[in-house]
Amino acid sequence: MKVSRRDLLLGTAGLTAGIFFTPVPWKVLDDVSIWTQNWAWIPQPPRGPVTTKLAACTLCPSGCSLRVRMAGGFPVGVSGSPAHPLTKGALCPLGFAAHQLNWHPARLQEVRHQGRAASWEEARSAFEKACAEGPIAIVDGRSGRAASIVLQSFAAKHKASYDALRNAEEKSLAPYAKWANVSVSSLGYDLENVRTIVSFGAPLLDGWGVPGRFTHLWAERAAGESDPQLRLIQIEPKLSRTASGAWRWIPICQGSEELLAASLASVLIEEHLVPAQGPVPPASVTDAASQTGLTPAAIRELARAIVDRKPVLCISDGESPAIAALNLLLGAVGTPGGILPKSGHPLPMPPASANDKPLRAVLIDSTVPWEYVAPEGAEAFRFAAWDGGGSRAEWLLPAPGFLEELSDLPSPPTCAVATYAVAPNLLSTSAQTKTAAEFLLQIDPTLPAIDQTIRARCEEIFRARRGTVHAAKPASIASFESAAKLEQALRDGGVWLDDPPAHSPLKCSLREWPGNSGNRAPANWATTWAQPVLPPLAAKLYQESSLRETPQRSQS
Amino acid sequence: MSARYGMVIDLDRCTGCGACMVACAAENNVPPLPARATDRTGLTPMLVHKVNNGLEGAGRREAFIPIACMHCANETPCVSVCPQQAVEVDKATGIVMQIPQRCLGCRYCMTACPYHARYFNWWDPSWPPGMEKTLNPGVATRMRGVVEKCNLCHARLHTAMEKAAAEGKKEIEMTDYIPACVEACPTNAIQFGDLANPDDPASQAAHSPETFRLLARLGTEPKIYYKSRQPWVRALAERSASGHATEGQHV
Amino acid sequence: MNRHVLAFAIGLVFALVAGWVVFPRVLYSHQQQPVDFPHKTHAAKSGNADCDGCHPFNSDGSFAGIPKNDTCAACHTDKLGTSPAEAKLVDDYLKTGTTTPWLVYSRQPANVWFSHAVHVKRAGLACADCHGALGTSDEKRLYEQDRISGYSRDIWGHSISRLRRAPHDGRTMSDCEDCHHKRHIEVGCFGCHQ
Repeated sequence: MKVSRRDLLLGTAGLTAGIFFTPVPWKVLDDVSIWTQNWAWIPQPPRGPVTTKLAACTLCPSGCSLRVRMAGGFPVGVSGSPAHPLTKGALCPLGFAAHQLNWHPARLQEVRHQGRAASWEEARSAFEKACAEGPIAIVDGRSGRAASIVLQSFAAKHKASYDALRNAEEKSLAPYAKWANVSVSSLGYDLENVRTIVSFGAPLLDGWGVPGRFTHLWAERAAGESDPQLRLIQIEPKLSRTASGAWRWIPICQGSEELLAASLASVLIEEHLVPAQGPVPPASVTDAASQTGLTPAAIRELARAIVDRKPVLCISDGESPAIAALNLLLGAVGTPGGILPKSGHPLPMPPASANDKPLRAVLIDSTVPWEYVAPEGAEAFRFAAWDGGGSRAEWLLPAPGFLEELSDLPSPPTCAVATYAVAPNLLSTSAQTKTAAEFLLQIDPTLPAIDQTIRARCEEIFRARRGTVHAAKPASIASFESAAKLEQALRDGGVWLDDPPAHSPLKCSLREWPGNSGNRAPANWATTWAQPVLPPLAAKLYQESSLRETPQRSQS
Repeated sequence: MSARYGMVIDLDRCTGCGACMVACAAENNVPPLPARATDRTGLTPMLVHKVNNGLEGAGRREAFIPIACMHCANETPCVSVCPQQAVEVDKATGIVMQIPQRCLGCRYCMTACPYHARYFNWWDPSWPPGMEKTLNPGVATRMRGVVEKCNLCHARLHTAMEKAAAEGKKEIEMTDYIPACVEACPTNAIQFGDLANPDDPASQAAHSPETFRLLARLGTEPKIYYKSRQPWVRALAERSASGHATEGQHV
Repeated sequence: MNRHVLAFAIGLVFALVAGWVVFPRVLYSHQQQPVDFPHKTHAAKSGNADCDGCHPFNSDGSFAGIPKNDTCAACHTDKLGTSPAEAKLVDDYLKTGTTTPWLVYSRQPANVWFSHAVHVKRAGLACADCHGALGTSDEKRLYEQDRISGYSRDIWGHSISRLRRAPHDGRTMSDCEDCHHKRHIEVGCFGCHQ
């Protein structure tokens, strides 16, 4: 029998009819729909048990405690630790996405010399050669750490200069440090006991100081109240977030803060609103009125409002001797609710050394803001975990990233009570990364090792018998049997908080009213962040919403 | 369990920092979008809006309103329009549950939502190489072409349920279930709790006369309440609640 | 028989045979586990007849799942016997520190949340209720993987038509639903999804 075309067609018809009586179409449809859910380019989250480890953020001097959720050795989530005595669990907006930073496309993976790949050996020999040839400077963006001790010791031993950069908050304390002849890092603001804060542009509710510290105080004592226990007077040209939350917003023209401070001082003296006598500010209310845009009556009213509820404290954004002098007049220096020295401060700072000859080379630590430019003609050895682009440094040296570096955390700049904590390295970093301290330790192994410094500091705290360690529960220092146990508690995520300082007066001597320090461009919300890149999810704040303006990296 | 999880957000405490937005995105494996994403095409399950009192100069004041899914309890608009039944109100928790894997991307729910709280994946979610290892294991990733929204951090509810089961308890501890935005807020502006439990502080706050809800006139019975003692903020909200024209106001 | 009917019938029969006999064979690929693991021997030797010796719950209620190399290495730091399977485990995986690439029969998609704690501790199910009497057998079970969807045959169930299924054969959403219906336990979407 010959098979005809009709046979084939009928056979196919039978096949088609039959297939629907088999599982094939239904199973294939089901499987294909599942297959479409599993495209290779849809990333799958990791599986596996999630453990929570305690750590601390080292991306800014605040050193917030973190609870890091880990799966498969990688961080999969970050939140604050409520046990931290200052943050009480808060983090800055960038902190919540910081665990993704290490995989930022701009991550520096290898040593780069003038744009081409190089090796650590080449960098080391170039640096040693530079040290031999001429004066070098070591620039530290966050002094006081165990790593800073390595940098300082190297500088001292090898006749280099050590330059500790100050951020805006530390700079606001600089005038008092100068007048009282103490170090900037030994001072802080006693916000917890103040009743009126006059902020000259300092973003107290938006990135100033330790996250959570002031925001919690303000939320409890001031938010929404028409007559708050804590009066925040925000003096700045634009309606910032802090100004929106303030009790009073005083808009003034850009750059007239110091003149306003001087005229407020003169009103306070004229109207006998302050007991203290001091240098008379050479500013009249009418001068200030024309420069600030406020009426003379408004300036007088402001002066009266400032002293209405004491203690009162003025905070400037950056270094401002005039505003510091106002504080002196208001009796805010060395008294509760004002600028206080941190007592028992266990971390001595050597002064920055000066150098007149042109520098041969500069070693720039990864804590230095990306915008820092080395002096002309100096070969720059720039440590950084991320390449922000546009760097003129000859050497880009890959530093450890987020949670990859064992570090200690000295007291943050604005705190009036000393703290100490240790940030563990939860993540192992590749052999390609080194901190500036490790680099110098390889060149000179006699420098004090990080572990050594941490141990010494723990011993000092232990011997002083002051303060409490805040972990799952606060524990007084007396409850620790040995310095080693204290050190372990800190390495496990505890934070040591000193007892409130016994009030030792801060003697500031000021003969004449300081001159104006000149215009300073106000900082954009992202400029307090030293790293050249933001966590990728931060784009939700400025690109995928109009909540914040696109961050501008500015020289500061 | 029959809970009604909801929030009370104190607008006087909100400083507009955006920590809640970032924490939400990190918890829910929201991808960082390409550079050409804008505030119209962004993916922000928690979004903080800025409003002002309409004045210029020294009298101007601004406030910030965090908006996420309101978990509407009555005639939930998105549930009623979804052709895929990809979204449903959970009887046990009151959470409006969206299953993105079931969504076919028609975006009808985005039109239906009066709060604009739903977002579309315009692009393939992608992370820089290696960053996918930092994704939260408790939340599945989505693909291009589906809608997503706030799910009240149900991954954290799951963790709390497992912990309760392991400890032999029938109900979860509220201290174990804290959504990412609540945890992130540096002024504790967001209070979260079981609105059906009269002993829960959030429930008590929600029933106080100071609180209000946005677009209450629509009758969707949102479970996110707001409160403020500032008269202009209340006036702005009441305008939206009662349906008066909002000329020139930014809401 | 009419010739046309015959042609149709041949096609029909061909389809039925292809669909019911050939298709299940071709759809699933057969893979071996990296190591031939005998459950019964381990249950006997470790003196732990319960499953939670190697498959425990963590303190927060999460389930450990398939044991990591550490669990095996607790006893098998060196070869305890002479079997080639053990030699492979020790030499290729434990000593080199490579995670043993076990093929997981019950692997579900990423958007599925199954809580062992809720099912075992709260609902009181026994391991054998869902996983069968694994502990009593040394069977070297083949891992059959659906070539299209990528999941194990255990998920759809061994029966390709899902008719006349063995109890607990199949772990699709409808299987979960069936069990929940039988026990009158209602859960919403997020009860099982994430």
